[in-house]
Amino acid sequence: MAHDTEEHHPATSTYLKIFVILSVMTLIEFGVFYLELNSALMTWIIFALSLAKFVLVVGFYMHLKMDDWRFRVLFVAPFIIMILIMIVLLALFSNLTR
Amino acid sequence: MQYIVNGSESDHRTSTGLNNRKLLMWAFLGSDSMFFGPLIATHFIHRGKSLHGPIEDIFNIPVTTISTFVLLLSSLAMVLALAGIQRGDLRSFRIWTATTALLGMVFIGFQMVEFTEFAAEGLTPRTSLFGSTFLTLTGFHGAHVTVGILWLWSIFFASFRGKIKKENSLDVEIAGLYWHFVDIVWIIIFGVVYLVGTYGVEDRLIEHASVIGRLIG
Repeated sequence: MAHDTEEHHPATSTYLKIFVILSVMTLIEFGVFYLELNSALMTWIIFALSLAKFVLVVGFYMHLKMDDWRFRVLFVAPFIIMILIMIVLLALFSNLTR
Repeated sequence: MQYIVNGSESDHRTSTGLNNRKLLMWAFLGSDSMFFGPLIATHFIHRGKSLHGPIEDIFNIPVTTISTFVLLLSSLAMVLALAGIQRGDLRSFRIWTATTALLGMVFIGFQMVEFTEFAAEGLTPRTSLFGSTFLTLTGFHGAHVTVGILWLWSIFFASFRGKIKKENSLDVEIAGLYWHFVDIVWIIIFGVVYLVGTYGVEDRLIEHASVIGRLIG
């Protein structure tokens, strides 16, 4: 069994495109903040944009999209645990301190 | 069966076919995300619970947006530094590594100015729940960025001693993984703590005043 761990990194033009997308998303976040939106809608828009930026940086700049699947597992598994910890903490303690 | 990973002279034969140092860095980043997650949750749990001192209304969102942009730009410079060393272009590596470290220093400069302004307005870790949770979270992030800056300068200067070359570009890649991680943590902090956290703060200030009024009255 041979492993091909030599991942293929994107071209410089791809890195530049990702940067432009990240910058535009940040500007949209900034713009959305000053719109008089419903609080829940604004929260979901910001969450979605932050998540998209996160995925772009991890996938392309950290090369996790192209890298060995075991690196993905090593990062994504604790990340899921972290989300669960956050949900549990918020569920348990938000009410207790109210 | 054992394999040589990435063909680097500094790499070892491993049973998984994966480089142990890169594996360690990903494991560290996974565990470090579990460090920041609860800090963000703790900040949110205590949101709106401070009875005195400034709250989110003291954030300067336009300035923080600029510092976020600076950190994003540093991530671009970091991948360009890695691409440079992987091509064997030492000059490109040095230019982009120095750019990344300098942008990181600019980000820390923004954070120092912000913390100084907050302290002048009466917000310190001792002031309130908001001060404790916010400054702990962003302070630890700033400490991570500072470690990253020191790491970047160390590989920059190591390149002049012939220790950074195409064959061991993995050294740069591992430093880059750490640097991008501090960027993604800031992406979340900016979105969740600064933007979502500040939204509707005027309503909470009114509620805040009425709670204090009830306590006094």
